Amino acid sequence: MIRKVSYLALGIAIGAVGAGFGPSALSAVSQSAYAAAADTYRQLNLFGDVFDKIRNDYVDKPDETKLIEAAINGMLSSLDPHSSYMDAKAYREMQVQTKGEFGGLGIEVTEEDGLIKVVSPIDDTPASKAGILANDVIVAIDDEPTQGLTLDQAVDKMRGPINSAVRLKIARGATKDIKEFKVVRDVIKVQSVRSHVEGDDIGYIRITQFTEQTADGLKAAMEKFKTDIPADKFKGYILDLRNNPGGLLDQSIDVVNDFIDKGEIVSTRGRNPDDAQRFNARPGGDLSGGKPMVVLINGGSASASEIVSGALQDHKRATLIGTRSFGKGSVQTIMPLGQDGALRLTTARYYTPSGRSIQAKGIEPDIQILEDVPDDLKGKDDTKGEASLKGHLKNGDDEKSGSQAYVPPDPKNDKQLIAAVDLLHGVKHAAVAPTDASATPSPAPAAPAPAADAPKTAPTPKPDGAQPN
Amino acid sequence: MPRGISYLALGVVCGAGIVAYVGGGAAPAATSPSDGVALFAHVFEKVRETYVDKPDEEKMVVGAINGMLTSLDPHSSYLDAKALNDFQTTMKGEEFGGLGLEVMQEDGLVRVVSPIDETPAARAGMMSGDVIIGIDDTPVKGLSLKEAVDKMRGPAKSSVRLKVLRGSAKEPREFTIVREIIKVLPVRSRVEAGDIGYIRITQFNQQTFDGVQKAIAKFRSDPGDKLKGYILDLRNNPGGLLTQSIEVVNAFVDHGEIVSTRGRTADQAQQYNARAGGDLSQGKPLVVLINGGSASASEIVSGALQDLKRATLIGTRSFGKGSVQTVLPLGDNGALKLTTARYYTPSCRSIQAKGIEPDIKVRENIPDDLKGKVDSHGEASLAGHLKNGDDEKTGSEAYVPPDTKQDTQLIAAVNLLHGQTPTIGAKDPAHIEN
Repeated sequence: MIRKVSYLALGIAIGAVGAGFGPSALSAVSQSAYAAAADTYRQLNLFGDVFDKIRNDYVDKPDETKLIEAAINGMLSSLDPHSSYMDAKAYREMQVQTKGEFGGLGIEVTEEDGLIKVVSPIDDTPASKAGILANDVIVAIDDEPTQGLTLDQAVDKMRGPINSAVRLKIARGATKDIKEFKVVRDVIKVQSVRSHVEGDDIGYIRITQFTEQTADGLKAAMEKFKTDIPADKFKGYILDLRNNPGGLLDQSIDVVNDFIDKGEIVSTRGRNPDDAQRFNARPGGDLSGGKPMVVLINGGSASASEIVSGALQDHKRATLIGTRSFGKGSVQTIMPLGQDGALRLTTARYYTPSGRSIQAKGIEPDIQILEDVPDDLKGKDDTKGEASLKGHLKNGDDEKSGSQAYVPPDPKNDKQLIAAVDLLHGVKHAAVAPTDASATPSPAPAAPAPAADAPKTAPTPKPDGAQPN
Repeated sequence: MPRGISYLALGVVCGAGIVAYVGGGAAPAATSPSDGVALFAHVFEKVRETYVDKPDEEKMVVGAINGMLTSLDPHSSYLDAKALNDFQTTMKGEEFGGLGLEVMQEDGLVRVVSPIDETPAARAGMMSGDVIIGIDDTPVKGLSLKEAVDKMRGPAKSSVRLKVLRGSAKEPREFTIVREIIKVLPVRSRVEAGDIGYIRITQFNQQTFDGVQKAIAKFRSDPGDKLKGYILDLRNNPGGLLTQSIEVVNAFVDHGEIVSTRGRTADQAQQYNARAGGDLSQGKPLVVLINGGSASASEIVSGALQDLKRATLIGTRSFGKGSVQTVLPLGDNGALKLTTARYYTPSCRSIQAKGIEPDIKVRENIPDDLKGKVDSHGEASLAGHLKNGDDEKTGSEAYVPPDTKQDTQLIAAVNLLHGQTPTIGAKDPAHIEN
């Protein structure tokens, strides 16, 4: 289903930036070229002037910390849709997201008719050990009624430091008996990788986002396939990146390396040519035994997901099935600001091994397969894509926006998954989607055009003969 | 939820302040260093050094100023040179090429507050509550209100195509409208029912008091001695200049306080009193019409006339904008519109986030397809509005029927001035409450 637009998080967490600020900030200005410095000084003067006017003339005494936060946020969001200021709370949230672990109870919850309902307790967590069951309704947390709380607020209340306790009042079953549970919080790891054996001969791996847990999760999944599927039967892998909004760059590189043994995975380029970085596969990193591979993508596959699918496509290591990806081709760096939160700043564009930037264009699947979208979701199932975001980084004249992002809840109706299985089984894909003449394998990647220093032009024009959209 | 409502501009243009600013030179941040500015400078520097492309520093600072101002309240904002020029144009009542629509932003789209009489928009059949979703094939979603207004303005005789959603209709209608010179005529008047002087003020700009004066002078000859009283129609009037609202009240009262303003410091407190001899109304009865779209300067006028018991207010609760913005010029860099004071009616009440209750509540009959679409959400529902106690009030009807024969509020006003009880004219007695 469609998720909120938290997608676009492709963050490289940088450690010790910005510990000491203060007077040094202004003196740094004077080191730059004189003219530029004068202009900068003029701009900062204007800002200081406005700040003073507000401090002196606003109807109430303004909260200066909040004013500065709003100023920083206004400045960053004027740059592009992915640069922003995170206050202390948002920054903590993001760390939880990227770390993939937090202090909590271990339940998946959802909001239903204003009630907080347990989807399922996660195995081996305090919640499951305490006996909380799927469909339990949480009516109070530490004696505070959940009525009127948003899902986020309820989740915030349930999370907390490890070894601290929380009391839950739960209504269970048709009789709505109220039971009380006291649960002690523990480290909960967010599963970013789920896997199972599809049919009896395909290793299916779904990555929901790229957190610090992802590379380990993937390795564990691939190890398990080795024991669960006899080597002579093993037909290959499906890597499902649909609606995966991205995450950590280093994790995406690690994921690609599990499927290839050599060559470039991705390169990044910032403003300064010296900052260009190229990431190559470590020899011996490939765990896949060279088995065939299908990657599933759709309009909700963004950022780190596009690095993975772009690299595997350029290396001809995988066949991409699904719909065009989101098109977020930029890298953000997280820069902590003391205790006050952090900047999330776009610092680089990334390029796939053939030298293309997918910014505002997305990755075209080798085989386009559309899902059948239920009538009531039609029109709501598309992501608009990077190219439609206001203020996005431009990328030539052939930007593309909008792509399907629906995944049927029942795998039996999942045409993209079925096409992937059939392909690995050697069934002709034309038979899979007979009404859709789109089964055109994409042209071979253009000759690798290594880092030309004209980052604004599209590296290689894409032949676009029979790609229906 | 409505976002920036730029039309609720209640600006005090401080002449003296402008001179002092330009002459006195800027007081740079460096002379009053604060941790806040240093932190900002630090981040500014980081962006300059590490952003993926060479950033536009001016845009960054404008973004910062905007971010800071909009975090304060919904009426504080930054006006770049062009926006400042537009603002001054509107306040002076100057002319521009356009369609003749008053618009506001709501849910990221642009909603018509009202078409201005005798303009291309009104003649093309645009209506209050219409939601503009496309301008010349550009989707409105993602545009700021200012950007949308800019797209609608243009040279006279050029044409513009609008995609418009009306009522609950799912299919947009398309209007092709030829632009004309729009003169922001803030006052219109006519003789109503043979013996009543009807004055409609659409906004308080520098022409407003002049217009009211002329209208009253005209009523002296027509209808002359027959004149039973006045109707002052402030419905859907978003406000404007404080000074003009004070003058307008003074045209109906001869003494007493009109309004007082209070800022953060004692010396910003000001009280405005009626000039003796200013009353032009000869003591004739007065009805003021208000609704959920009457804001700001309109509320100063109706609040003062209500407190002074000079007028009977008919209609629905007003918007509830009880703050004053000052336009502070920034040299070549545009200006700030900054909330600098709250205002208080003569009885010392602040109507901020509460609005003014009419003396006689009369609701209009709203066509079915517009029901629920023509309410103003009011100040209290704006994110970040200045708080005013626990009894804030939000939402009030803001519909005025295009046909005056069906205008229940107007009919009630006429009847009251004719000495009848105000139940006549409404089919549904429930629509009249007191």
